[in-house]
Amino acid sequence: MADSLLGGFRALDLTDEKGFVCGKILAALGVEVIKVERPGGDPARGIPPFLHNTPDPEKSLYWFAFNTDKQSITLNLQVNQGQDLFRKLVEKVDFVLESFAAGYMNSLGLGYEALKLVNPRIIMTSITPFGQKGPYAQYKGSDLIASAMGGVLLTTGDPDRPPVREGLDSIYFHAGAAAALGTVIAHYHREISGEGQQVDVSLQETTASRTSTNLVIWEFDKRLLKRSGNVRVLGARSFQWIWQCKDGYVHWQYIRGQVGAATNRALSKWIDEDGLENPLNKVTNWEEFDPAAISREELDAHQESIARLFLNYAKKELTEEGLKREIDITPIDCPADVLESHQLKARDYWVDLEHPESGSTLTYPKYFFLSNQTENFVKRRAPLIGEHNEDIYVKEMGLSSTESTTFKKTGVI
Amino acid sequence: MEKQALAGVKVVDFGWALAGSLTGKHLADQGAQVVRVESSTRPDRTRFDRTVSMSSTTNPDDKPWFTHFNTSKYGMALNLKHPRAREVVDRLFRWADVVNANFSPGTLNKLGFGYEYSKSIKPDIIMAESGVYGQTGPLAGQRGVDGTGAALSGYLDLTGWPDRGPVGSNLPYGDIVLPSFTAIAIVAALDYKRRTGEGQYIDASMIEVCTHQISPALLDWEANRHLQTRNGNRIAYAAPHGVFPCQGDDRWCAITVFTDGEWEAFCHAIGDPPWTKEPRFATLNSRKENEDSLEELVSKWTKQHSAEEVMQIMQAVGVPAGVVQTVQDLLEHDPQLKEREFLVPLKHPVMGVFGHPTPPYKLLKTKAQVRTSPCLGEHTEYVCTQLLGMSDEEFAELWRDGVFR
Repeated sequence: MADSLLGGFRALDLTDEKGFVCGKILAALGVEVIKVERPGGDPARGIPPFLHNTPDPEKSLYWFAFNTDKQSITLNLQVNQGQDLFRKLVEKVDFVLESFAAGYMNSLGLGYEALKLVNPRIIMTSITPFGQKGPYAQYKGSDLIASAMGGVLLTTGDPDRPPVREGLDSIYFHAGAAAALGTVIAHYHREISGEGQQVDVSLQETTASRTSTNLVIWEFDKRLLKRSGNVRVLGARSFQWIWQCKDGYVHWQYIRGQVGAATNRALSKWIDEDGLENPLNKVTNWEEFDPAAISREELDAHQESIARLFLNYAKKELTEEGLKREIDITPIDCPADVLESHQLKARDYWVDLEHPESGSTLTYPKYFFLSNQTENFVKRRAPLIGEHNEDIYVKEMGLSSTESTTFKKTGVI
Repeated sequence: MEKQALAGVKVVDFGWALAGSLTGKHLADQGAQVVRVESSTRPDRTRFDRTVSMSSTTNPDDKPWFTHFNTSKYGMALNLKHPRAREVVDRLFRWADVVNANFSPGTLNKLGFGYEYSKSIKPDIIMAESGVYGQTGPLAGQRGVDGTGAALSGYLDLTGWPDRGPVGSNLPYGDIVLPSFTAIAIVAALDYKRRTGEGQYIDASMIEVCTHQISPALLDWEANRHLQTRNGNRIAYAAPHGVFPCQGDDRWCAITVFTDGEWEAFCHAIGDPPWTKEPRFATLNSRKENEDSLEELVSKWTKQHSAEEVMQIMQAVGVPAGVVQTVQDLLEHDPQLKEREFLVPLKHPVMGVFGHPTPPYKLLKTKAQVRTSPCLGEHTEYVCTQLLGMSDEEFAELWRDGVFR
C-alpha cells in the first residue's frame, strides 16, 4: 500500500459538528485520528438524517459523513480519573483537536498550557464560533450565526426575502479546512523546531475571509452590496449567473474579452439558429467585448434573449448542446445528479464503504485531492461509540481488564 | 522579526485569479518566500477588474482586490511565452521547493514547464495544480469559474427557498475553500519530503473538494432515497432556526435554538409571553410542525429591537444569535474581528493605507506577518539577482530582450 502524506502521526479529536471536518481531512491524509466521545457517545450523533430514517446514535448519516477513518474511544473528561487518562493519551499523540467553548478545556485543567507540560510538542487546534479571546469569545454560535456575523449571509438570497443560508453546513466545512491548514502549518514548524503551539480558529473570521470583494467596495467607495438573487456582482456590474430552463436550472456567466469570445460568439450563433430575437448580433468584435462596458439596457436585452433560449431546453440538452458548441453551460446538480457525474466517476472519486453492523454499503467521496506519490484516501466508515476502547485502553495503554471494567462501571470510559 | 512557521520554504507561484492566488497567500503570510510570477502580456483578472472607482483601466497596481489575495508575496514579471523564458524558469525551479499553478489543464505542459520538466530540473519538487474540474476526466478541458463549482457540487441546488429557484451568495465559496485544500496538500507534502526526500504532484479540484460539503445529503439519497433540496434557513434539528427582522432598514438577527435548555432560555429572554407556553411549541417536534407560526411570533418580538439588542439579549442567556452584519459592520463595528486583527492596515505604494486580510486560523506562537501585495514586476530584479543568483549583466541582457514583461 502506498504511503499517505501524514502517515505515522496521531490526533485526539474532541470536536463536535463545528470541527468534524478538520479531523476528517487529517485522517484522509493518513493521520490516526482518535475521536474522544463522552460515555454514551457524542451528542452530534443525534443529528439527522439517519440510516433508513431510524433515529439512533449509531445511524446518523451526518455523523457518518464527517467522521470517516476515525477511531472512537469514550472518556469522561469531567472526572479526575478521566482527565488523568486523557493526559496519558496526550503523551502519545501529535495533535489535539477540540471545539468546546473557549476556556472549557482550561477549566478541566486540560488547556494548552497544561497539555504542553505533558507533551511540549503537542499542537492543539481549537475551533470556536468567535475565537479564544475577545469580547465575543463566550458567545455561542452555529453555522447560521457564523454566516450572519461573518458578512456572508446578507449577500445570499433573494432581495425581497430575508437573507438565506448556503448549502448545508458550508461554514463548518470551510472552517474545518482552515483549521486543518493551520494545523499542518503548525505541524511543519513543529517537526523542524520541536516547538508545538495552539491554533485558534474562528468560524466567524473564516466566513469573513470570503468577503474581500465587498470589503474593498465599502472601504474605497462606501457602497454596500447585498443579496441579489440569481444575479451576481462582478466588478462594476452585476450579471445573471443562474438561469431557469425547462426542467431545472443552469449556470452560465458572461466572460469578457479574449477569454470569453469563443463561447459568447457561439451562444449568439445558437440564438440566431433558433430564430429568436437576438440583440447579441450587434456585437461586432467579441474579442473586445466587455459586458461591463455596454449600457444597462443593452445588457438587459442580451440577458432576456439568453433567458428565452435557455427556457426552451432541458438541463441535459443545454449541457450536451453546450459541450458541442463550446458554450460553458453547467447544470445545477442536485445530490442525486452529483452521484452520477461522469467527471467524478472518470476520476474514481467515489469509494464504497461497508457498514457491516447494518449490512449496508454506502458510497462516499474518496479524496480531497489527488497526488502521484501518495494515497490520501477515505478508507473506513465512521466508528461506533467506543469501538476502539479495547485497542487503545487495554492493548496500547496496558490497562488491566479489572481497571478497564471499573472505569466502565464508574462511567469514566 | 519573530520566526514564522514556514520560514525557509521557497515557492514559485504561477497561481492567478482568486483560487490560485490565495494558495500562495496562505503560504506567504506564514513566512514562506513566495515569488508571484505574472506577465503584463496576460494580466491577472484581478489586475484589470475595476471593482472600485479609484481603479483605472491602465494601471495594474491600483486594484485592492488583487492585494487581498496576494499579500506577503514577491512580484516578478516574466513572459512565459518568450523564447528565453526558460533560462529564468529553470533557475526558479532549481531554487524552489514548491510550484503552485492554476492554469487550465495542460497549459504548463504546453509551455514546456509541466511537472515532468520541473522534476528533471529539481527531482524533489512539489507541484500543485488546482482548478474547477481537476487535471483529468472528460470535462478537464472545460472552462470553469466559482459558480461552475457551486453548480456541480450541489451547493447551489441546496441554497434558497423551497418555493423558488436556487440562489447563491454574491461572494465566492469554492474559490476560497479550494485554496485551503491546495495549501494543506502542499504543506503536508513538504513534511513528507522532509521525511522521505520525495517530491509530489498534486491535483486539486474545486468540485471534488466542495462535494464533500454535501455528504450528508448524498448519503440521505443513497440510503433513504430522500432528495434534500432548498429549505430556506430551516434545519431538521433546531427551531427556531432562522433570520428575523429587526428595527432599521434591512437589519436582521439570526437565532438558532438547538436544545431544550436553549428554548427555555429563549422564552425567558423574551419575557415568557403566553404563546411560549402553548403545547404546539413545547417540544422540538411540535415547534418544527408549527414553524410558520413560531417564526411569525418570534419576528413580532425581534421587530421591536435593534439587531444588536436581539443578539445581546440572546447571548446573555446562552442562546446562539448573531447580527446579520454588513461589511461595514465587519470593518467598523465588530470588536471581535478587531481583536483578532481580521484586517491589518498596511500602506500600499499606489493605493495608500487600507485593510489587508490575515489568516482566520491564528498560530499563536508563530504569528502570521502580512505585508502588502507586490506591484506588477516590483521585485523582478531582486528575485533574479538576489534569490536566483543571476549576474547583473545576465539580468540586464534578458531585460533588454523583453523577457521580463
